[in-house]
Amino acid sequence: MQRVKNLGYDEDEPYDDEDDVYEEEADPGYTAEDKDNFAALTPVVRAELEEAGVQASDKDIGDSLWHYYWDVDKSASYLKNSRTPRTQQQGAKKEDKPKAKSKFDEAAQKSAEKAADWFRDVPWTHIPPEMEGRIVPEEPAMPMPKLLGGSSKLAKLAEERREKAAAAANVAQIPAPNGVLSSLDRLSKPQDTKENDTPQPKAEPKKYPIRKKREPTPPPKEPTPPPPEPEEEKPDLRASPTGFGRTLASSQLSGHRAASMTLKDMLGSEITEDPFKGPSPDDTVLRAQQHSKGLTNTSKTKQSSTNGLAKKTEALKLGENTPSAPAQPKVRSRGLDVPKLWAEEKSKRKASAAFVVIGHVDHGKSTLMGRLLLDAGAVSQRDVDRYQKQATELGKSSFALAWVMDTGTEERERGVTVDIAQHHFSTDSVAFTILDAPGHRDFVPNMIGGASMADLAVLVVDANQLESGMKGQTREHVLLAKAVGLKRIVVAVNKLDSTAPNAWSQDMFQEVKGNVVKFLGESGFAKEDVMVVPCSGLSGENVAKAPEASGPAAWVAETDLTLLKALEQSVPSEVSGDALKRPLRMQVADVFRGGITNPLSVSGRMTAGNAQAADAVLVQPSGETAAVRGVEVNGEPRDYAVAGQICTLHLTDIDPIHIRSGDVVCSAAQPVSVVTSFLAKIEALDSLLPQSVDVHLGRLHVAGNISQLVATVDTKGETLKKKPRMVKAGQTALLKVTVEDDVPVEDGETVVLRAQGGTVGFGTIERTSA
Amino acid sequence: MRLIRQNIERKTGAGSATLLPEEPEDMWHAYNLIRPTDLLRASAIRKVVTESGSGSRSNERVHMTLTIRVTKLDFDPQAAQLHVSGRVAVENKHVKLGSFHTLDLELQRNFTLEKAEGWDSVALDTLKEAINQDAKAQLWAVVMQEGLANICLITDHQTILRQRVEVNLPKKRAGSTDHDKSLQRFYQTTFDSLLRQLDLANPKPLLLASPGFTAGSFHQFIKTQASNGGNKQIQQLVPKITVAHSASGHLHSLAEVLASPAVTSKLSDTKFARETQLMDRFFELIRKDDARAWYGPKECELAVERGAVGKGGGVLLISNSLFRSQNIQTRKRWVRLVDEVKEGGGEVRVFSSMHESGKRLEGLGGIATILTWPIEDLDEEVDGVQEGQDMPDEDGVDGGVDGIEGVSGHDEDIDFL
Repeated sequence: MQRVKNLGYDEDEPYDDEDDVYEEEADPGYTAEDKDNFAALTPVVRAELEEAGVQASDKDIGDSLWHYYWDVDKSASYLKNSRTPRTQQQGAKKEDKPKAKSKFDEAAQKSAEKAADWFRDVPWTHIPPEMEGRIVPEEPAMPMPKLLGGSSKLAKLAEERREKAAAAANVAQIPAPNGVLSSLDRLSKPQDTKENDTPQPKAEPKKYPIRKKREPTPPPKEPTPPPPEPEEEKPDLRASPTGFGRTLASSQLSGHRAASMTLKDMLGSEITEDPFKGPSPDDTVLRAQQHSKGLTNTSKTKQSSTNGLAKKTEALKLGENTPSAPAQPKVRSRGLDVPKLWAEEKSKRKASAAFVVIGHVDHGKSTLMGRLLLDAGAVSQRDVDRYQKQATELGKSSFALAWVMDTGTEERERGVTVDIAQHHFSTDSVAFTILDAPGHRDFVPNMIGGASMADLAVLVVDANQLESGMKGQTREHVLLAKAVGLKRIVVAVNKLDSTAPNAWSQDMFQEVKGNVVKFLGESGFAKEDVMVVPCSGLSGENVAKAPEASGPAAWVAETDLTLLKALEQSVPSEVSGDALKRPLRMQVADVFRGGITNPLSVSGRMTAGNAQAADAVLVQPSGETAAVRGVEVNGEPRDYAVAGQICTLHLTDIDPIHIRSGDVVCSAAQPVSVVTSFLAKIEALDSLLPQSVDVHLGRLHVAGNISQLVATVDTKGETLKKKPRMVKAGQTALLKVTVEDDVPVEDGETVVLRAQGGTVGFGTIERTSA
Repeated sequence: MRLIRQNIERKTGAGSATLLPEEPEDMWHAYNLIRPTDLLRASAIRKVVTESGSGSRSNERVHMTLTIRVTKLDFDPQAAQLHVSGRVAVENKHVKLGSFHTLDLELQRNFTLEKAEGWDSVALDTLKEAINQDAKAQLWAVVMQEGLANICLITDHQTILRQRVEVNLPKKRAGSTDHDKSLQRFYQTTFDSLLRQLDLANPKPLLLASPGFTAGSFHQFIKTQASNGGNKQIQQLVPKITVAHSASGHLHSLAEVLASPAVTSKLSDTKFARETQLMDRFFELIRKDDARAWYGPKECELAVERGAVGKGGGVLLISNSLFRSQNIQTRKRWVRLVDEVKEGGGEVRVFSSMHESGKRLEGLGGIATILTWPIEDLDEEVDGVQEGQDMPDEDGVDGGVDGIEGVSGHDEDIDFL
């Protein structure tokens, strides 16, 4: 080892000479002297080893002798240590060898076949200095997560293009040789550039298993005289570095690797457009062909087919940018015909539905949903166990399942859901989105926001406490679900495992079922749209799995579906294609930072229209324009989103202060109107006077006033009385409502009026230009 | 407000009063006292341009006392400033008669007010209220919900929104602490804004109200700040904090908060408590479809005309915004109505339009009554006799005079008259 050290890493070109030496030798390594030594010493060592009952091959012995410079003693003890204990003495040494050379010979022997093969297509070990020199300044400040890139696909695309171009004619020029390197470039380079290369560190032979490649601190600018060296000799043979050097080098190396990875990913994702920006090889070829022969469409269509979704628009744009144009992360429209695509893909996709979970506080909504996610496999048992442990520490072990949904610190501390939790899971046939609403009366505004995003409702009723719920939020939530236009409802009669006196009392279930169905009927839900299932969220019976046949809950399996099955059956039909063609409308439920690449994201349910990357949108009421940078549905990037989906739009070109939750993202061409007063047809749940009310429009919650009671009307819309003194509970009336802020609304939207912590009326907007 | 001197004649209401505004709230009273066409005398600074014989002009700022006939009032509740525009009524050597001037009434500077039509009963009541030195309840309140905080000052007669804090909070999402961070930032912003408004040297009670836990958490936040900061003044503030529940974070929820027993016990504001009680009773009656409760100008006038607002529970609830009407005839009409009710033995409550209970009344058109006996279908009758109702009566002034006599029974604390 010491001798290795003497070699000195700082020597400028120690390797070239050595490389020369290697070349002259047919056998990579040993001189005649060496061989003599081998012949003489190997048997000695072997004898020693055999004495100790250790088996070793000639090669191993030779290696160790090499390693210890003919010190039989050390060699033997090394081998002994690596196999079984044993000692011996001998003292023949060779001093006149070039010290390092022997080591390198040995390394070469191994790495020539093994390491080189192993690392052949791992480009970073061979990054030529000039390449590195270029890469470094372009390193982004932060490494980008690999997952973000769609690099492989694009690399393939680029490869295809390249091949085609090469085949078509040799006119094709490699785009932007100085610019960013495509993945393909990088793959092809190592071989070509070898000659100019300073030998790069290689993995050590397996003898030093921990050792990693070392950064050679290459002198990139210095022209190294290229030794005419055959390919096999190439792998590099440097002795293993000291611990210190290794530390230094390996950290540097890993840093570099991350950087180059990043660049690759950037090539894949960020600078996605790069291959398409300049005149593609095809275009060049085409143009050349057109000039000469007047060839036309055939190859063009081919190109667009390789491109998959890209359409003519893109092809037209290709020529616009010069190849040297800087890579802008600007989004480019793919010009998809979304309604058509949506209709085409209809057969391929699963049905999807979002359901809001409603019910009185502490009736077990969040716990039931935690159970559903756990049993449906969307949440791992490990996570739940962890929650269980943490919850037990807080003395709230029964809340563990609810913690799947209740992720807020305050929610966990207090054991109460505060805001809507959104979670996604899918079964074999349906992709579900859960919107877990808070049951507490103070958070009804959040519940309204959640319900306005849902397709159907799951009403959770505590079998033991139906009464309290009916007086409280069970009633209010059902009315609100009706108010926001939900048609189907699945009732989960919960906590049947703790009914008194007997658990899983069927009579109790039937009684509760009767009451709830009756109430739902009164509230305006059609009988066929209501399903009732018995279950227990805490113990998990009949949520996703039917209960065991032997337990007290056995009767359930015979009479009722599981909650999950009931949900699957209640999935409403998809939105019609017409909704997709209308101008874009999406109420913002949340504004957040979607990550480093997407500093501003909004999520919400798209009520009309569709969106894809590069769409120009308008945010109302601020009236600011923005561009869509990307679209996500259920946490996965998509090409587009359509009406009826709960999606996330990543926006650019807008300041975050212009977007709040409750705003509407709409098409810039046909924006939603912004008003301060509107005429609404309201069904009164309490007597209404001209008074202050909280006005809820989905997620939007503003202070307002009923400024005028215009008229009471009957079910057909006929005016009963103009300017009534008051509107009694149960009556329907036209009201003029003024709000304190500008609100983006449209005719026909659902509006809920609340006062003093209770819902006083709900209805639809009749005229916004009031 | 201090009354410096007055020479109001009881019979005719003629005469003037000189007043000294001492605190911002007095500007509100002044705003309710001063009406268009009144004569107002106050000190002013006016830029005077003089032209010398050679034709050169010189500008000069001259302090003077100006008397103007009021044409317009402009009240800024946030800054508690009152700007009164009018035409100069008394000429001096710098200012010509009839030229325009806007007086900015200032604290600690006298102004003298003379009523063109004489001091009517409502004006005298307002004056009496303005110079009442006791019961100066003041309270700071923060009505909040997650992402929204309304910081307001509640006085006897006003609820002044001083600052509105609105922060966009990202919703909770698994694995992200953005929500918690933003929430802390929201508390910090609200706290900072609050400190800028409060006079920490003389802390007033502070009321925190919200749905859910927001107010509680904010209370905790202030406590933490007080113990960390080592700021004695903030520490003194802590025991003065009351946490209450409100239905939402919007300002109109304040009415409900202020009516809750937890708060009323801390507020010496009996006027407000009484007003809230009356409003609640009114709403209760109307909710029961009781024909004793009516609202709206015409309905109330008709009811008063029939003498239904009299002894034994008749109450007229009226907002002081009605008396601020630009139109003298309209003002007279309301004054006459008030006097009529008082004459008949009914109770009149003038609500401050800047106060929470007053705002509820504003929604109903600024006027409501609880009748002594029920009158069915008053609104239909109103529709029938709509013509001629808006015509002002010429005997309004007489009514005003009668009103003063009617008031004389309980004016022991305005013995200055």
